Amino acid sequence: MQEQRVEILYNEPVSSRYFRLGLKWKTSVIVPGHFVMLRVSDGLDPLLRRPFGVYKVLNAKGRDKLKGDGIELIYQVVGKGTGILSGKTPGEVLSVLGPLGNGFPVPHPSQDIVMIAGGMGIVPLYLFASTIKRGSLLFGARGKAQTLVAKDFKALGLKVRFATEDGSLGHKGYVTDLLSGAITPGTIVYACGPAPMLKKAAEICAKEGAQCYVSLERAMACGIGVCLGCAVKASAHNERENKNYVMVCSDGPVFESALIDWDRI
Amino acid sequence: MKKTKENPLAIVVAGIRLKNPVMTASGTFGYGSEFMPYTDLSKLGGIVVKGLSLKPRQGNPSPRIVETPCGMLNAIGLQNVGVEAFITDKLPKLKGVDTAVVANIFGETVDEYIEVAKRLDDTEGVSALEINISCPNVKKGGIVFGTDPFEAARVVSAVKKATRLPVITKLSPNVTDIRVMAKAVEDAGTDAVSLINTITGMVIDIEKRRPVLATSTGGLSGPAIRPIAVRMVWQVSQAVRVPIIGMGGIMSAKDALEFIIAGASAVQVGTANFVDPDISVKVVSGIAEYVERHGTTVKDLVGSLTTG
Ligand SMILES: Cc1cc2nc3c(=O)[nH]c(=O)nc-3n(C[C@H](O)[C@H](O)[C@H](O)COP(=O)(O)OP(=O)(O)OC[C@H]3O[C@@H](n4cnc5c(N)ncnc54)[C@H](O)[C@@H]3O)c2cc1C
Ligand SMILES: Cc1cc2nc3c(=O)[nH]c(=O)nc-3n(C[C@H](O)[C@H](O)[C@H](O)COP(=O)(O)O)c2cc1C
Ligand code: FES
Repeated sequence: MQEQRVEILYNEPVSSRYFRLGLKWKTSVIVPGHFVMLRVSDGLDPLLRRPFGVYKVLNAKGRDKLKGDGIELIYQVVGKGTGILSGKTPGEVLSVLGPLGNGFPVPHPSQDIVMIAGGMGIVPLYLFASTIKRGSLLFGARGKAQTLVAKDFKALGLKVRFATEDGSLGHKGYVTDLLSGAITPGTIVYACGPAPMLKKAAEICAKEGAQCYVSLERAMACGIGVCLGCAVKASAHNERENKNYVMVCSDGPVFESALIDWDRI
Repeated sequence: MKKTKENPLAIVVAGIRLKNPVMTASGTFGYGSEFMPYTDLSKLGGIVVKGLSLKPRQGNPSPRIVETPCGMLNAIGLQNVGVEAFITDKLPKLKGVDTAVVANIFGETVDEYIEVAKRLDDTEGVSALEINISCPNVKKGGIVFGTDPFEAARVVSAVKKATRLPVITKLSPNVTDIRVMAKAVEDAGTDAVSLINTITGMVIDIEKRRPVLATSTGGLSGPAIRPIAVRMVWQVSQAVRVPIIGMGGIMSAKDALEFIIAGASAVQVGTANFVDPDISVKVVSGIAEYVERHGTTVKDLVGSLTTG
């Protein structure tokens, strides 16, 4: 949990809009689900750091808590910050705050595991899958680049089922269409992706009686729980510690889905 | 620095002894202890904690923040743990930290301001109160007091009577002439003024044709507002005699020095803490370097601006 200046090992396009970013990272232990806040330039615009999940720990040692030589992030170029990031070259140095957040809870050995990802939601789930090495993945892949990432999943020996809106790969429709058929009341579901997908996944899991953990995204300023900007409404029956709102950065980003008010997401 | 030599960075503001003029701004530094893993709090002149109300407050719906060019808009809605939890849970964590702790307070009524001020009055470890009369986020709260000289004065004199602590009144920039407000709170007995709070702004999502923030508008902070803040500090310095604490977009020692030269006895660093949690300490070292290079002291730099 520190601000550090780290060297870029590689910053390679997976496709025109997706990049793999390798950073030298020897210091701290990473738990799957952790994220980091990157400062993409020393200038004033963009001003704030950008949050990114950790995709891989390079040469990782450890089981649920990983230490290695570096970390790999995967990012999609969507705006100014990620645009600047995509122009960075190996050897350049970035200011990184992290690792931050709580990470995914470790499942019980007897539990069936289903991971469900939409788009860049694949990032933290891959690191998670690579540590637990079991379970199956339902992947709502939007473009070709995303399916490339799924190769890494398959290399882990895990079953992957795809859904695409245009039917170009796997199921034609939403990835959540595949969920109810994949779970039983004993299943533990880990979900990361766009809010509507998570909402749907939470609903299905509640209906089937499966446990469900979601990793949320919210615009962030500080990443360390002090600006109170990344608030998400907590569900009424689960206002823990009298909290009406939970902070994605410091209470999460991973939440038990019952904790979230999905009507106000 | 030798004991015998006077600390060139030290400054007394409204009776509050600061080892250097750099404080952290309310709402951007939590309750202080959150920054312990990232920075050495004892190197700061002071810490101003998140705005405190009598009862805990849950804050505004989300989205609460959006980035803007060289700045950000926020509509947090003054979410805080309440004065009671601050005293029992948060303040003890700062024990042993060698810095001035300022409690920023607000209320929806004059009585609430009084209650919060009273509750903090005999609390060990609080050096001063900063009254937020200027938060533009809450419909019922700050805006009424902060934009009406009469109401502002009413709060200040009530709080002054309720506490023995030095009182800093934090001014809103969302007024036609900030000097009028500064004058009003000075006459009401404030020991110092701090400025500026955030400037009301708005960002629209053109695809949805909706405001990005759930509350439609929010408060603009960060380097984008700095020239406005410097101008206001300069204007206020010419209108009142009480010391000024300047803030708005400070990212570096150079920025902080602009405020000091314009007339601020101390500064607060806000949004920059989100970008670099150690930035306030870096501002301190930058000021130390400047003071040494110019063979001067912070005290002598305050209001040292020449115009014309
Ligand atoms: C915990 C967390 C993990 C994330 N992990 C990844 C990841 O592994 N890979 C990846 O590609 N993206 C990830 N994101 C989203 C990523 O942070 C945004 O895409 C990025 O901040 C956009 O920045 P920009 O300047 O390019 O876009 P702009 O649209 O120009 O950004 C403007 C502002 O909006 C914020 N913003 C925009 N989109 C998002 C978003 N989806 N989530 C949060 N803030 C946003 C930015 O931080 C910035 O403050 C993650 C977000 C969070 C909160
Ligand atoms: C997220 C956020 C929360 C804030 N909360 C408070 C608050 O509770 N009370 C207060 O008096 N000012 C609050 N402010 C205003 C700051 O203290 C400061 O006056 C303002 O942001 C300008 O300084 P800056 O540009 O350095 O951030 C807040 C500002 C931000 C960005
Ligand atoms: S980003 Fe500041 S509290 Fe979460």
